[in-house]
Amino acid sequence: MNRQGFWGEVRKNKVLLMMLAPAVLFFLLFAYVPMAGIVLAFKQFNYDGGIFGSPWNGLDNFRFFFDSGNAWMVTRNTALYNIAFIIVNNVLQIAAAILLFEAVGKWFRKLTQTVMFLPYFISWVVVGAIAYNLFNYDVGTLNSILTAIGLERIDVYNTPSYWPFILVLVSAWKALGYGSVMYLAAITGIDTEMYEAAEIDGANVFQRIFHITIPNLYPTIIILVLLAVGNIFRGDFGMFYNMVGNNGLLFSSTDVIDTFVFRSLTTSNEIGLSAAAGFYQSILGFATILLANYAVRKYDKDHALF
Amino acid sequence: MQNKKSFMLLFVFVFVLAAVLSACGSNHNAGGNTGASNTPSEGSAEQTSGGTGEALVIKMLLVGGKPIEYDTVFGELNKKLKEKVNATVEAEFLDWSDWTQKYPLKFAASEDFDIAYTANWAFYNDQALKGGFLELTDEMLKKNMPLTWEAMPAVAWEQSKVNGKQYMVPNNNPEVIDKAVLIREDLRKKYNLDPVNSPETFANYVKTVAANEKGINAYNAKAADGWKWHELDQILLEQQNEWNLVDYSMPLAYKLDDASGKVFNVYDTPEFAELLNYYKDLADNNAWSKNVVSNKNDVWQDMKAGKTASYSHNLGTLAMNLAELRREQPEVELAIADLTPDKKKIAAISTQNGFAVHATSKKAERSLMVLDLLQNDKEIHDLFMYGIAGTHYEAVGEDKFNATAGTPNYTGFSNWGANSPLNRKDASYPAEADAIATEWEQKVYNFELETFVFNDANVKNEVANVGNVMLRYAIPLEYGLIKDIDKGRADLIKQLKAAGIDKLQTELQSQIDAFLASK
Repeated sequence: MNRQGFWGEVRKNKVLLMMLAPAVLFFLLFAYVPMAGIVLAFKQFNYDGGIFGSPWNGLDNFRFFFDSGNAWMVTRNTALYNIAFIIVNNVLQIAAAILLFEAVGKWFRKLTQTVMFLPYFISWVVVGAIAYNLFNYDVGTLNSILTAIGLERIDVYNTPSYWPFILVLVSAWKALGYGSVMYLAAITGIDTEMYEAAEIDGANVFQRIFHITIPNLYPTIIILVLLAVGNIFRGDFGMFYNMVGNNGLLFSSTDVIDTFVFRSLTTSNEIGLSAAAGFYQSILGFATILLANYAVRKYDKDHALF
Repeated sequence: MQNKKSFMLLFVFVFVLAAVLSACGSNHNAGGNTGASNTPSEGSAEQTSGGTGEALVIKMLLVGGKPIEYDTVFGELNKKLKEKVNATVEAEFLDWSDWTQKYPLKFAASEDFDIAYTANWAFYNDQALKGGFLELTDEMLKKNMPLTWEAMPAVAWEQSKVNGKQYMVPNNNPEVIDKAVLIREDLRKKYNLDPVNSPETFANYVKTVAANEKGINAYNAKAADGWKWHELDQILLEQQNEWNLVDYSMPLAYKLDDASGKVFNVYDTPEFAELLNYYKDLADNNAWSKNVVSNKNDVWQDMKAGKTASYSHNLGTLAMNLAELRREQPEVELAIADLTPDKKKIAAISTQNGFAVHATSKKAERSLMVLDLLQNDKEIHDLFMYGIAGTHYEAVGEDKFNATAGTPNYTGFSNWGANSPLNRKDASYPAEADAIATEWEQKVYNFELETFVFNDANVKNEVANVGNVMLRYAIPLEYGLIKDIDKGRADLIKQLKAAGIDKLQTELQSQIDAFLASK
């Protein structure tokens, strides 16, 4: 079969390969070509030398991050927030998708879906402003309600312990619609004969959900979670920066790698230092995805990404 | 059918391939350009050897929003420039909201522009050290900028050198940069308070307003924009104690009258400890919102709307605010308060505003000719600074102007690089601000270290980390958000040590010593 070798294969599958070409070129262009810029992490950048001509400075660029004494804290925050986001968001999205699938009434379904999808299109800048108007101490909606019913005001913007909950909640609110569409699509793809058979066998709604819908969703769940796990060391900058800003009191529980790096380097414009921080995130992300994929392979070979 | 499909595929393939190739191509071009800038002073200037034979388009990089009537004004401006130096200018505007991110990128990507606005607060030292600007030799300046060479005092040139080299045509406009506060004079009178002219009287005013006026923040600041100091620090810490901070991203200062330029950590001084008590007292009396460090509003707009009763800024801005409110809401009475009237004042150094030539510009000579006219040709200067007479301003004599309905359509961007003695004054500029300015000018204190510029190349890790500590530990402490201020201050100092403040201080001191020794 392989008599004609590599080019034979190519000729045989040329249509399929051509269909693949745009995607391959896209990643080549936007992911692999720029990867050469990684050398910046080990260089003292100046305009005369540009990216490749600037002098090397070894691991100096990494020093800032680890010398700061915050490396561990921000790395931990980033990872924990992302784990919380992955778990909470996926559970809610699956639940929403199942509920939507089971819901009767086309109008109700469309309306709910639209309303859930809406937050996805609101920019983090706007969400940040909304949050400020909800939570601020003097005139925030929350505090106005609390005082109106005779309770004490709470000082959200100066209390770090509230923020993990607020951030997870906001993230879930914003991602719910978008994520549930993917799961809904997967559910719609499940063979309806299985449901019919179950119904004939007398399965109730819950049995249908737990024995047919969810097991059939495993591949989708695993792929989406694996893809998310690869980004576990990248904080959602737009979210954290717009929700928390430069409020130093909250950093202990809200600072992620991305905001920390932005804040440290936004005034000094040291491209090398930011490249080093990005490189650090990529290495951690790469290791995590290899590990997660290995774990999935151990458990079930078919569901692993590679 | 089959044909059509494969044609489409081929089309997509070719299209994508073209995209890849062109992207690579432009990368190479960019690389080539940066390569050319290796020799900043020799190359580019000589290539277009003098003369104004060839018509050139000079591209300018300006900071601020694009004025609404840019086309009209620059159209007129270009007619004049064409006549005089056979060049036209084309400006690109970097909006205030994100210029700090875009500005360095323009240089990093080596985009095609000839003149860039720059200033000590707008990356001047940074870009000059990184090789973003063309070095300007005296010969180039003399030859291409005769008017400016004539008008600019030697000290202004001297102040704008980086490591002994000239990279900027600074503005020519002496001013004092001390800060004052704007207060609601009507509220002060309502509660029969003493005139506000010291930290104590100010505290009294702020606390009275906070206690009696519901729904008004007695003092407000935009603390959330990355600024690492309390907004009153410049007045209450620097001006009050006659100190000068070397750079606002690190807490190191020297005394103005200390000829040896000894640097110290301001957080580690009894003056700072005392100031913290002062701030804590204000905060505990609700002088500012508990959420001041998350404030996202424009403070001046809040003040106009009657939601804020005082804020701090430099004199020129406060005077403009005052004039604006007098026009729009004459019933509200504001006053400018100088909290440190008897202290030494610092004059702005010339790099407060200026223009530089991009290192890769091929039109350096003509760019300098244009800059010469923008700053020192009466007709062109008026056009560039104020727009078209009769439309955007109304000329009052030779040196004043009145705002018109068209004024807002040509304002708000960094044409200040062309500030010069030809500037017109707003005829409605408040007399009291003028009086304060005149008084300040008599108290200007000149000192050796005025023009010292810190080069942080050896300590950039420490600078980044120290700045982070200030934002995280100093800001909440200064706004009275931490209950135990002594412990908070101890924490702050401890964290600064860990961030490498000692190394920073040693480096700074050795640069200052070298600077003073070379004088």
